[in-house]
Amino acid sequence: MMKALKNSILVCLITLGCFATAHAILPIERLDSFKGSKGYLVQTKALPMVDIEVSIDAGHRFDPSGKSGLADMTAGLMNYGVKSDQGMLSEAQIADEIADLGANISLSVGGERTILRIRSLSRKDLRDRAVKLTAAMLSSPTYETKIVEREKQRTITNLLEAETKPEFILERRFKKSVYGNYPLGTTPTIKSVAAVSVNDLMQFHKQFYRSDRMIVSIVGDVDQAQANEIVQTLLQKIPQSGASIAQLPELQRSPVEPLAQREIQIPFDSQQAHITMGMTAVTRSNPDYFPLLVGNYVLGGGGFVSRLMAEVREKRGLAYSVFSYFAPGKDTGIFQAGLQTKSDQAAMALEVMSSTIAKFIADGPTPSELLAAKSNLVNGYPLRIDNNRKLLDNVSSIAWNDLPLDTMEIWTKQVEAVTLEQVSAAFQKYLAMDRMKIVVLGAKNK
Amino acid sequence: MRSNLLRICFLFLLCAPISWAASSDSVDTHEFLLSNGLKLIIREDHRAPTVAHMTWYRAGSMDEVNGRTGVAHVLEHMMFKGTHKVKSGEFSRLVAAVGGRENAFTSRDYTAYFQQVEKSKLDEVIKLEADRMSNLNFDDAEFLKEIQVVMEERRLRTEDNPSSLLNESLMATAYMSSPYRHPVVGWMNDLQNMKAADARDWYRSWYAPNNATVVISGDVDPQQILQVVEKYYGVIAMKELPVRKPQIEPPQKGIKQVQVRAPADSAQLAMAWKVPRLEPGKLDDPEPYALELLTAVLDGYDNARLNRTLVKQEKVVNDVGVAYDMISRGPGLFLISVSMAKGKTIAQAQASIRKALDDLKQKGILESELKRIKVRILSDQIYKRDSIFGQAMEIGTTEMAGISWKDIDYILKKMQTITPEQVQAVAKKYLVDEGLTIAVLDPQARKSEVSKEGK
Repeated sequence: MMKALKNSILVCLITLGCFATAHAILPIERLDSFKGSKGYLVQTKALPMVDIEVSIDAGHRFDPSGKSGLADMTAGLMNYGVKSDQGMLSEAQIADEIADLGANISLSVGGERTILRIRSLSRKDLRDRAVKLTAAMLSSPTYETKIVEREKQRTITNLLEAETKPEFILERRFKKSVYGNYPLGTTPTIKSVAAVSVNDLMQFHKQFYRSDRMIVSIVGDVDQAQANEIVQTLLQKIPQSGASIAQLPELQRSPVEPLAQREIQIPFDSQQAHITMGMTAVTRSNPDYFPLLVGNYVLGGGGFVSRLMAEVREKRGLAYSVFSYFAPGKDTGIFQAGLQTKSDQAAMALEVMSSTIAKFIADGPTPSELLAAKSNLVNGYPLRIDNNRKLLDNVSSIAWNDLPLDTMEIWTKQVEAVTLEQVSAAFQKYLAMDRMKIVVLGAKNK
Repeated sequence: MRSNLLRICFLFLLCAPISWAASSDSVDTHEFLLSNGLKLIIREDHRAPTVAHMTWYRAGSMDEVNGRTGVAHVLEHMMFKGTHKVKSGEFSRLVAAVGGRENAFTSRDYTAYFQQVEKSKLDEVIKLEADRMSNLNFDDAEFLKEIQVVMEERRLRTEDNPSSLLNESLMATAYMSSPYRHPVVGWMNDLQNMKAADARDWYRSWYAPNNATVVISGDVDPQQILQVVEKYYGVIAMKELPVRKPQIEPPQKGIKQVQVRAPADSAQLAMAWKVPRLEPGKLDDPEPYALELLTAVLDGYDNARLNRTLVKQEKVVNDVGVAYDMISRGPGLFLISVSMAKGKTIAQAQASIRKALDDLKQKGILESELKRIKVRILSDQIYKRDSIFGQAMEIGTTEMAGISWKDIDYILKKMQTITPEQVQAVAKKYLVDEGLTIAVLDPQARKSEVSKEGK
């Protein structure tokens, strides 16, 4: 039983500041450009291991109309059968090889990008085998009909289960509201998953899995020459480019609307009501990112000490978890806040959450709140970069969002430079209560 | 679900010698016993200028008594509500001000509190944590609000979560007398009737230096930190602790079954067998190690036995998980849980699980399967050292179970000596109906089913 939920922690962080003495900030090295890809390395020698990430510009937002879930399945089925240099490898052989190497290979698909990660011991023979296997997965998945059908059925069964869960229904409806016509407004359904064919998977893979859409980030016990070799092995068999891909629409700012059009009530028979609100916001490269980051720490990002936590939980005991965050991507970004409360308290909890956010947009933080926020972010910066996994998260974000390579070195300075006026101005510029989408699920009137 | 092999920390690879940059655990770890009975364990890790500071109390939900279930966890919440010197909420504000991350967690076996900070801030959080070991002072109004928060937590995690409801019923059915039968969060009625005095009694009984272990990992100088710990924790008086009754679960005499009806789409099945745990002082008993390896042979990687046969080949279940934790204070349980594939029944799933287990019991396992698992265990130990916090967690959970961190090396060596025959033997001996509890989730349509969007 944790005292608070993880999602009260800001999702979008990156980078490193300067702290003293023996622990200089580890530099990000640029690797040789190979076949139109980009590559980055941070060398850490203390442990005999290496983390490798391939970011692919092939997220959910490229799902074709009516086939939502395709990006997910294209990635998720890469390790269920491949053509390799040694011939065909079955899903069982791939799984056994990964296990025998003591390696981990994971795949995840987000709105903007698909991420493949390898964690391996850095010993050359083991590392080489892990990299070669991954290269075959990336370039030559077989998408065998029998396996595709099995996994489609499993996905559908999972979706049917998810559709009985309050948090899933809430999130699906919120996405539809906040993203509107942007492709991220559509999420997988039974029908859209059922519509995906082997041919769709092949096509999607061919279209999007190209080296000019890939970024490789490496952290661990390898030198630059070894890192370059890893990139080349990974991308050797992948085509550099392909047919042009249609431009996605711009994400339109959430419009001013009367409450009745922005707020959705979903009847649901559960003990708790789930409530969320939010709107479109900023990308990671937006110059107002830092004022919003610092401001949100005060509003709902700062663990047990935020205003939302104080008003909703500490003062009134209305919820276990309450949070707000900005989720800035490369091309899109949203703001979202949420909580869960006993179903007959929904109206009160929504009122407290709304008025807390409204007041913050109108008045901004107090000088002492701003100081406390900066103090936490600056003093806590070392905790954002104190192991290989966290360094990889940072490098990966810098690379994906096209941020300067010294981003980690100047991060704390950028936080320190934020003023009260900047926070207020940024919140007023990007957020507005008459634009907030609201979804309330399972509310009961007393 | 994965087995808890991960908690064993160590540093060599089975298949071939490797020269490690890192030094061995025993060199980097230091243990001290303060005169008031507080145990301090320091793991040096100088890769980054950060520290994890954890304070573990050997008091979890298994130490609760009837009518007061959940009080260990409620007290965990109240620990943030002020001391004689630090007012309510101030603890978190002070930790936040130094850039710290903090939280706390309660299990059946223990309650633990932690902060992660940049190393120069360590003294500050030691001072705060030591203060609330003996000076907690919250008022009734704070309790009345916080107990509402805890009930919201129970609604979120259990009442509206069919898998949790199933697990809760499984534990309450498998155990008749062991306090492991109660949920950590407590029964709702006990929470509704809990008083501030119950939480205060709990604190007075169990929060004492002689019932605590402080674990610090990260970029620290052990001698210097020892002085700081002496200064702040060392002044706290030791207490006589309540007598812990053994409450040993009587032997089970046959299959037990329980059904839970809750809103869901797929049926779920959980099969749980009573098995031994690793007992302090009996580290040469091969059975717990063999059970850990059996867990991984069944479910340790994507092509492990149950995933391969039940999910991929027979397509009788949609997902499978196997769990066993040999490191615990209370009795051991070996758990297989599955959710049904579309159109398949509980009976079919149970038959398939039994068939897979019978096959293993009769034919044993391959040397190559076991070797694969052992390699994974070893490489996981390297990966785990990437996390400063994870290292403190491992030391703390092991110590709470009554096993010294110093034995972790030995436990790992023992694990590597286990043979396929020993794995087969524990399957034959323990995965039998005599000690089996079966829990079934019978899915119900929700009364106000929302229209399925986009269909």
